[in-house]
Amino acid sequence: MNTWTIMIYELRRLFRSRSMLLNMFLLPLVLIFLLGASLSGVVGVKGAAKIDPVRVAVVNPSGEGAGPSAMIAAFLKLPEVQKVIIPQEAESRQAAESGLRAGKYGYAVIVPGGFDSEVQSGKKAQLEFILGKNRTDNMVAGTAFDNFLSTMNYKQAAVATLGPEALTVSASLPADHEAVKLGDLNNGGRTYTASQFYAASMLLMFLLYSGITVTSSLFSEKDNHTLHRINSMPVKGSELFIGKILGVGIVSIVQCLAIILLSDWLFGVYWGNRPGLLLLFCLLMIIASMTLSIVICLFSKTAASASSIISVITVCMTFLSGGMAPLPDAWVNTIGAVTINHWVLQAVIRMMLHSELSQILPNLLIISIICLVMFSAAIFSYRKVGYHE
Amino acid sequence: MAFAVLTDVVKRYDQKLTVDHVNFSIQEGEIFGLLGPNGAGKSTTISMICGLLKADGGDIVIDGLSVMNQPLEVKKRIGLVPQDLALYENMTAAENVSFFGKLYGLRGKLLKERVEEALAFTGLSDRAKDKPSTFSGGMKRRLNIACSIMHRPKLIIMDEPTVGIDPQSRNHILESVKALNKLGSTVIYTSHYMEEVAAICDRVAIMDKGHIIACGTESELRERVAHEEKIVIKASQITPALIQELGQHPGISRVELSEDTVELYLPSSQSQLQDILFIFAKHEGIIASLNIEEPDLESLFLNLTGRTLRD
Repeated sequence: MNTWTIMIYELRRLFRSRSMLLNMFLLPLVLIFLLGASLSGVVGVKGAAKIDPVRVAVVNPSGEGAGPSAMIAAFLKLPEVQKVIIPQEAESRQAAESGLRAGKYGYAVIVPGGFDSEVQSGKKAQLEFILGKNRTDNMVAGTAFDNFLSTMNYKQAAVATLGPEALTVSASLPADHEAVKLGDLNNGGRTYTASQFYAASMLLMFLLYSGITVTSSLFSEKDNHTLHRINSMPVKGSELFIGKILGVGIVSIVQCLAIILLSDWLFGVYWGNRPGLLLLFCLLMIIASMTLSIVICLFSKTAASASSIISVITVCMTFLSGGMAPLPDAWVNTIGAVTINHWVLQAVIRMMLHSELSQILPNLLIISIICLVMFSAAIFSYRKVGYHE
Repeated sequence: MAFAVLTDVVKRYDQKLTVDHVNFSIQEGEIFGLLGPNGAGKSTTISMICGLLKADGGDIVIDGLSVMNQPLEVKKRIGLVPQDLALYENMTAAENVSFFGKLYGLRGKLLKERVEEALAFTGLSDRAKDKPSTFSGGMKRRLNIACSIMHRPKLIIMDEPTVGIDPQSRNHILESVKALNKLGSTVIYTSHYMEEVAAICDRVAIMDKGHIIACGTESELRERVAHEEKIVIKASQITPALIQELGQHPGISRVELSEDTVELYLPSSQSQLQDILFIFAKHEGIIASLNIEEPDLESLFLNLTGRTLRD
């Protein structure tokens, strides 16, 4: 019953502190917003860029004894090509150049007269490309026409080797591949944004900082001399200690839920498809950080020295785990692996990416072992040092 | 019937004896004073009675229960008013008393009644909803007491409760101690203010350097120095030669000088007064005032230790 009374008091004390509310609830959200917005180009995997169709001036005149190139016309009518190229007929090279300068076209292709017959006879055939002002447009149209030329080269090679009949045969065969296909950089997989990365990293950093709240709570009783009074009352030392730790623990859980829900609501941070597992990882993180702080507090003489040690450990762990700025994988997987954050951060990101459970469970095992070790160390420290003035 | 008995109680810090084989007993319903200078071992003794510190030797029995064997049961019977203010600044006065009341096991209507009672007793009813941060030093001291008495303890221990407060609040606290005693509580009152202890305590133990050097009622203790009187002379032009001659006088036991005041300790002032006035006149010392004082606890402490209580 005393444990309950002390826990309720602790909650009341913490929720009445404005500075605590600002530090625990507002500051993480502000940091997630600032870091997520400012470092979106540095962290995370970008989604596939959208490619707008390019207006291409096509100069396709009739040759001597022949009409405009049917091959070019057929190529430009392919549905997949029309997704990236909008052909615009131009009367002459001059008209195409003028349109390019004026920005009317993004790219121009000059088809020489008799292009088709040259190709079919296996002779030298050449298209002329004129680049426009926009680099992306040039790349998109250039890639499409390179593909066309590859096909032409293949047909010419077939004609040169097998004779003109080969061209007829190959033309009757169904196309075994699309002329243009837009790929996905992530091969269809999920990606995470800078906001997601920093939301996870800041969440873990602030959960680690809950150790500071433990420090403040344990030392405030000493500084107020209320610990002296409580120790003279019929209250077991363990009841007092557990009550205070439970109070701080509940506040940390509320903080964790607030960061997750508010970052989702305010910034659209997606936390993955395993909310239960996410909360379990956060709970283990809270236990690890609180037990670490308890050990430090019990062996520190002042609140200031304990807070300093916890702050340094928190910042170092966040940095080494790659939570502040992206670090090389080799670094993160070696030095970063000695931090508590590393195992939880990697797990949270995997949950965001919808990874298989088998990829997350090893992290759960390791953070559980860390918690067990830290919990044992905290109990040992309490029995060795105790909690009194 | 002895309510509290301390037998050969010993406490060491780094091999130094802070409390050295202390023995005394306190009767039920009495106000027992523990007097001594700073560092005498009063607070350490109090801490051991409350179960805050473990004694390195001896035994402490409160209301028939050993502090060493049944600390929680003993603590239920005790209300400690600590020397330092032990309050939560971010909780109201009523919340402070209520919180500590809950830790003594009070609940519901009884708790509410006791909180109101304790605040009324200390004159803080009208400030129940205010936070201690808005209180004066004296009011904080009173709230400090309220937090210790709401469970109506059999033994109230007050560890220097009047340190650093104004005379009005001091009187209020001393009156409160008497009132609590009349309500049936046994009180242990520690202080280094001799007048306070003399004013409210039924019996007094004087501590110095971890020892009890005297114990009894005030009159019993005065009796021990009844053979000695003190003459306090305020004067100007006090020369070393004047002090030397006073010290050499066969009828004067001891001479103390502080600034413009000379204190003379002697078996009988009447027989030596003329000689003293003569010596002052001889050395051209100009007397501003002269008081013959009866022996008090301060005199006893001086007599026993050669030092004053506030040294």
